[in-house]
Amino acid sequence: MVGAELDTAMVPAAPKGKRSIMDRFIDFIELVAAFFVGIVAADIFISVLLRYFFSIQIPDAYDFGRLLLGILIFWGIAATSYRGTHITVDLVWANVNERWQRYIDVFATLVLLFVVTVQTYTLFDKVATTRADNVLTFELHLPVWPFFAVAWAGDVSAVLLIAIRTYRLIFHPEDIGRGYQIKPVE
Amino acid sequence: MSTNAIAIIGFVALFGLMLMRVPVGMAMGLVGVTGFGWIVGSGPALKMIGQTSMRTVTDYNFGVIPMFLLMGAFVSNSGMSRELFRAANSFVGHRRGGLGIATIAACGGFAAISGSSVATAATFSAVAYPEMRRYGYPQSFATGVIAAGGTLGAMLPPSTVLAVYGIITEQDIGKLFIAGIVPGILAMLMYMGTIALLTALWPSYLPAGPRSSWKERAAALTDVWATLVLFCFVVGGLYGLPFLPRFTPTEAGGVGAAGAFLIGVLRGRLAGADIRKSLLQATRTAAAVFTVLIGALLFGYFLTITQTPQKVTEFLTALGIGRYGVLALIMLMYLVLGCLMDAMAMIILTVPIIFPVITALGFDPIWFGVIIVMTVELGLIHPPVGMNVFVIKSVIPDVSFSTIFYGVLPFIITDLIRLVILIAFPILALWLPSHM
Repeated sequence: MVGAELDTAMVPAAPKGKRSIMDRFIDFIELVAAFFVGIVAADIFISVLLRYFFSIQIPDAYDFGRLLLGILIFWGIAATSYRGTHITVDLVWANVNERWQRYIDVFATLVLLFVVTVQTYTLFDKVATTRADNVLTFELHLPVWPFFAVAWAGDVSAVLLIAIRTYRLIFHPEDIGRGYQIKPVE
Repeated sequence: MSTNAIAIIGFVALFGLMLMRVPVGMAMGLVGVTGFGWIVGSGPALKMIGQTSMRTVTDYNFGVIPMFLLMGAFVSNSGMSRELFRAANSFVGHRRGGLGIATIAACGGFAAISGSSVATAATFSAVAYPEMRRYGYPQSFATGVIAAGGTLGAMLPPSTVLAVYGIITEQDIGKLFIAGIVPGILAMLMYMGTIALLTALWPSYLPAGPRSSWKERAAALTDVWATLVLFCFVVGGLYGLPFLPRFTPTEAGGVGAAGAFLIGVLRGRLAGADIRKSLLQATRTAAAVFTVLIGALLFGYFLTITQTPQKVTEFLTALGIGRYGVLALIMLMYLVLGCLMDAMAMIILTVPIIFPVITALGFDPIWFGVIIVMTVELGLIHPPVGMNVFVIKSVIPDVSFSTIFYGVLPFIITDLIRLVILIAFPILALWLPSHM
């Protein structure tokens, strides 16, 4: 119950009964990221358990851990960007009327869209150079670039979701949760 | 154009973007890359984005953040907070102000297995507030004590804010966590002392609750075994206690998350929906933190190329007010900034500039981590943007902001005294890590 209250306070949800294909797509992206958080935790826990208690090392556990971390973060950024739960300074926003709040939100989301689009473009270059340089994991010698490519796909999703958020903020603001959102990062 | 002018334009643009609610990390990244590109050229600047972003998110050591966030989410959603409050309440609830003291003790216990002030405040708004109101505690005190108790989340290990400070300043996160233990316990004791003082001055202000029998106390104590096991294993492993495997901070987080998950599932407290919710909470928060980390690193290149930290260091050390004078100025700046932005934004924005000043003045970086977290945590409870106050208001809508701020006032005074004590006696923070 406590968690539910905390969750409700943190994340604005679309109105019930209006969950479109787009909302389900956003939910799916969040679940992908959440799945990878669980996998990273399991990877660390099992490798620690095996190393300390059975002196067994999972090959490339370290590389898998960090590469999966990259995937989860980029997919998580996609969901966070759409939900509007990034860390922001709300001083001006909280002290203006709803009309100006909307203008500020549209401006901030357009800047966000620009920055993430540039990031996605430059990340593609990083994926390509990693592939060209044939970077491999330390023990199993697996190519690293497919992991980077999956992470990059998360950033592509972020661009898509921010574009959707911008569209909704401008044309269908009722589809975006309004009101003050608490950032759970402190 | 001189690098000084470019730096000033960069800072003005950064604050302008942040005030227009552009996410802090994105604003820092945009200004950092643009400024760097202005001086060095757009090619290297663009190259820097992809490389820095990928390097940050695939750094194994940074995994400490999502892992401890996941541990905190599992702990929150498996109801351990209620057990902690019940146990503390059974021992002190019958005294005047006892429910407030029990709230502080339970907040401390919860903070020891969760790294978030906001989560601690939100959790105890639902757990402790109804109990305090039931026994006639004033609304202002009940909310004030929760807001103050919530700040323990950032001081006692694991702490997300201390982990971020460690990443930015390249300090040992394990040592930072351990350094937070004594100041965190001191905070608990001083908050309890404040409540005792309020009760002594105004005996009718805080009524007493019912007395629990020793049988009830024993039963309540046995319920908190899970919290104790989790804390001892994670922090003991970080510290290197005998008979425990020694963990790196990321491993401690992973083991803590898996431990919280297993304990929750085995006790029937975590079902499918709770697990999913916990994973989602950890993902959202981790993504928000990593966005600012990437932005901070990109902005760091801009600071380096404009030599801003060196210039700030030269300026402050040339003031002739001594090292403690400079430290007092910095603390004052953080207290003022706390009126404008939240703790994480403050740390990420200012530490890359302030940290070189601190090391140049000969202060210990681990000690400064504790001091700075204490200072920015004050911003969580003082007006106008106290984040814990907003959280409490969202969970308890019928209480006004002014009521909460009124209730938290005695604890702000306590925090300021504690800050002075920690500055005067750095050993309080440094003794435990020196034995690691």
